[in-house]
Formats: sequence, C-alpha cells, structure tokens
Amino acid sequence: MKNKLAIALALGAVTTTALAGPVEDQIRFRQSAYSFLGWNTAKIKAQAADHPETFNKDQVIAAANAIAAVANSGLNELYGEGTDKGTGWKPTRLKAEYFEKQAEVKEIDATFIKEANELQKVAASGDVAAIKTQFGKVGATCKSCHDLIRVRE
Amino acid sequence: MKIEVHVWDWPLRLFHWLLVLAVVGAYATGKVGGEWTDWHGRFGSLVLGLVIFRLIWGFIGSTHARFINFFPTFSRLLAHLKGDWHGVGHNPVGALAVFALLATLLFLVGTGLFANDDIAFEGPLYYLIDKDFSDKLSGLHIRSVNVLLVLVAVHVAAISFYQHVKKTDLIKPMLTGKKQLPKSLAPSSAQPVGVLRFVFSLLLAVTVVWSVWGGDPLKYLTPLAGVQTAQANGKS
Ligand code: HEC
Ligand code: HEM
Ligand code: HEM
Repeated sequence: MKNKLAIALALGAVTTTALAGPVEDQIRFRQSAYSFLGWNTAKIKAQAADHPETFNKDQVIAAANAIAAVANSGLNELYGEGTDKGTGWKPTRLKAEYFEKQAEVKEIDATFIKEANELQKVAASGDVAAIKTQFGKVGATCKSCHDLIRVRE
Repeated sequence: MKIEVHVWDWPLRLFHWLLVLAVVGAYATGKVGGEWTDWHGRFGSLVLGLVIFRLIWGFIGSTHARFINFFPTFSRLLAHLKGDWHGVGHNPVGALAVFALLATLLFLVGTGLFANDDIAFEGPLYYLIDKDFSDKLSGLHIRSVNVLLVLVAVHVAAISFYQHVKKTDLIKPMLTGKKQLPKSLAPSSAQPVGVLRFVFSLLLAVTVVWSVWGGDPLKYLTPLAGVQTAQANGKS
C-alpha cells in the first residue's frame, strides 16, 4: 500500500515535470509568455488610450484574444518547485515567497482570467472607451501579481 | 509685545500645498496602477515642475525662500542644538528635512521619467535608454518611494510636535505667510516677491516639463528671440 502510494506520487511528479519540463524550461516558457503579454498590452494601450486616432479594431481584437488565450493557458503549471531560482532567458525574478502565497496567487489568477476574458468580449465590440476601461482592469491585475511575487529590480 | 512678520512668500506657500497635492496624487495613482497610470504621469510631472520651480526659487525667491539663508551649515546646526538659533525661517534641523525631501523628490521624478512598468506605462524619457537600465531605474523609483514615505512621516511628526508640544504653530504661517514674533527677535519682513522673477521661474519650470513630454518649446520661443534660422538648421 505504502509502495503503491510512493509509486503513484513518483509518477505524478514525473508527469508534471514532463509536462512543464525542467526548471530552466519552465522559467523560459513563462518569461516568453509574459513578454508576449507585454507586447499585446502595449499595443492596446497605444491604440485605445494613448493614440486613439491609430485605433485598429482588428489589431486590438487580435491582441485581446492573445491576452485571453495566454491567461487561460494554465501558466501556473510553469511555477514548479525550485523555479524561484534559475535562469531562463535571464535570471528569474520569481520571489521565493511565491510558494507561501498560494491563496493570494490563486485569487489573482482567477481575477486575471476573468478580466482578460471580459477584455476579449469588450474588444469585439470595438467601443474604444469601454476597451480602455476594461484594459485598465487587466493592467491592474498584472501589477497586483508583480507587486506580490515578482522581485524588484 | 508681538509683531507680525511676513516670512513665507506666496509662491513658496503655493509651492508647498500644490506639492502636497501632487505627491499624494502621484503616490495613490502609482499604487493603484491600471487605468490610473496616466494620472500617475501627470501628478509626477506636476511634482517635477514644482521641484524645478523650488530649486530656482531657492536662489531668486524672497529672503526665507533662499537656500543660502537656511542652508544647514555645521555651525548653524550646532547653534540650534545649543538653543542659540534665533532665525525665523526654517530652523537648521528642519532645513535638513527640507533638503532631504527635495532631493528625494528629485530622485523620484528623475527615475520616474525613465521608468516602465512592464505592462503599459512608461516615463516620457524611457525611449532614450535601454530596457535593462530602465528596469533598474524602475526598481530604484519604487524603492525611493519608501524613503519619501519615511521623510514625510518625520516631516509631519515634527510639525505636529511643534504644534502640540512646543505650542508653536508652523502650519498657519505656511498658509498665511505671517508669523507672530516677539518684537526683540523679529527681523524685518521678507522682501516682496519680484513678479518678473516669479514669471521667470515659472516659465523655466513649465519649459522643462513640456520638453520632457516631447513638446518643443523652442519651436514657439525661437521666433520671439529671432533665432529661427539657427534653430531650423540645427534640427531637421
Ligand atoms: C500570476 C502572476 C502574474 C500575472 C497575472 C502577470 N505576471 Fe507578469 N510576471 C510575473 C512573474 C513571476 C514574472 C517573472 C518571471 C520570471 O522571471 O521567471 C513576470 C514577468 C513579466 C514580464 C517580464 C518578462 C521577461 O522575462 O522579460 C513582463 C513584460 C510581464 N510580466 C508582463 C505582464 C503583463 C502585461 C501581465 C498582464 C497582462 C502580466 N505580466 C501578468 C507574474 C505575473
Ligand atoms: C512624487 C513623485 C512620484 C511618486 C511619489 C511616485 C510614486 C510611485 C509609486 C507609489 C509607484 C508604484 C510602486 C509600486 O507598485 O509599489 C510608482 C511607479 C511608477 N512611477 Fe512613479 N512616482 C512619482 C513620480 C513619477 C514620475 C514623474 C514618473 C514619470 C512620468 C513616474 C513613473 C512611474 C512608473 C513608470 C512606475 C512603474 C514602475 C514599476 O512598476 O516598475 N513616477 N511611482
Ligand atoms: C506630501 C507631503 C509633504 C511634502 C512632500 C512636504 C514638503 C515640504 C517641503 C519641501 C517644505 C519646505 C518648504 C520650502 O522651503 O520649500 C515643507 C515645509 C513645511 N511643511 Fe510640508 N510637506 C508635506 C506635507 C505637509 C503637511 C501634511 C503639513 C501640515 C500638517 C505640512 C506643513 C509644513 C510646514 C508648516 C512647513 C514649514 C516648516 C517650517 O516652518 O520650517 N507639510 N514641506
């Protein structure tokens, strides 16, 4: 019985690492994902807030879709044990406290997904003012997570 | 016998209370982020303009606004600690706090101008430097916010200490400009504000803020100065 449990646990551990890969891969994947998010948020900010005269509905919809897709892609799988240290594209900025703040992180994850889905909906409407407002909410969610679990430079 | 002495000139008082507004605004909007980041840039720019103005005013403002008249030199500090200081402007220890506050604010706006939040907000000069350096400055920006918080707490605590323990009202003079002083101690009132000096300081402060945001004040000013050709050749 004990052995079976150990095997099951070991298998579980193997499959999760197999899915997300070694520590460096996880860090690299999540850094890539967040950089990609940054590209899309910058685009929406530019077109819906800073320079509304450049608003391009298709590009903004594409960006909102991309953000929602990334938000829903299960990024939390890339936060395996030991990924608070190590180097992906560059040294990781994940705080060690990440692992003790699971409750808060879960809440942020849920908010992030909710607001990103909403942004996707609002973007489809093409209403620039509404997009700007909803985009602000998404941005605040990004920030809340960075404040909580990302190391300050 | 107490007489009324004019101590703080009106630009300095205006500076102070606008600064309080701008700093509180920048702090709140910086913390909230999201849709408020643009306002953070605006409040921050107001801080920038005010600090530039104050730096100029420290040289050409009226008596007690001038840095040279309250610079905390060692001998002044020593005199103050011994209770031998009898000025009417900032006392030497208060002056330390004034310079610390101004320096921290200057550092905050200096780093803020180049900072980025990795989401959707950059200082207006972000594009002049590379991303890694901007990330460093963003980190320093956020850290120096804590220094500011400490200084403001000390500042406000000191003022309320004077208010309640030493029974000296410093706040009213910061509002009205006037202090009631014993006749024996009272020097003559501060010299009146030079209107031209004020306009000059204000224009310079506005020009700095405007330039930082990519406005091109020279374009508007050069025709007045008759140097359009030099400017036209200098810039494409
Ligand atoms: C669940 C928490 C979380 C959320 C939500 C989040 N981030 Fe991040 N972000 C991080 C962490 C942690 C890092 C550091 C990753 C590392 O270095 O391993 C990071 C890094 C980044 C980076 C730097 C990537 C690099 O390595 O160059 C950017 C850009 C970024 N995030 C943008 C965003 C944007 C935009 C959003 C919202 C649309 C967002 N993030 C939402 C946690 C989060
Ligand atoms: C008194 C002046 C200022 C104060 C008090 C202030 C305060 C703050 C605060 C509280 C934050 C958020 C920190 C956090 O998330 O914990 C912040 C971030 C930021 N500020 Fe300022 N700021 C000031 C001036 C400026 C100026 C003038 C600019 C440029 C226009 C600026 C640009 C930024 C940027 C880009 C960030 C995001 C940095 C990051 O999250 O990495 N700030 N500031
Ligand atoms: C954001 C918060 C604040 C900042 C950054 C700030 C900054 C400053 C600065 C720079 C000065 C020096 C004035 C000069 O010569 O230029 C000053 C003086 C002064 N401040 Fe503030 N201040 C803040 C909040 C307050 C508050 C809330 C009060 C009132 C309770 C206050 C009361 C005063 C007074 C009375 C002086 C004059 C002190 C003296 O007599 O020497 N300040 N402050």
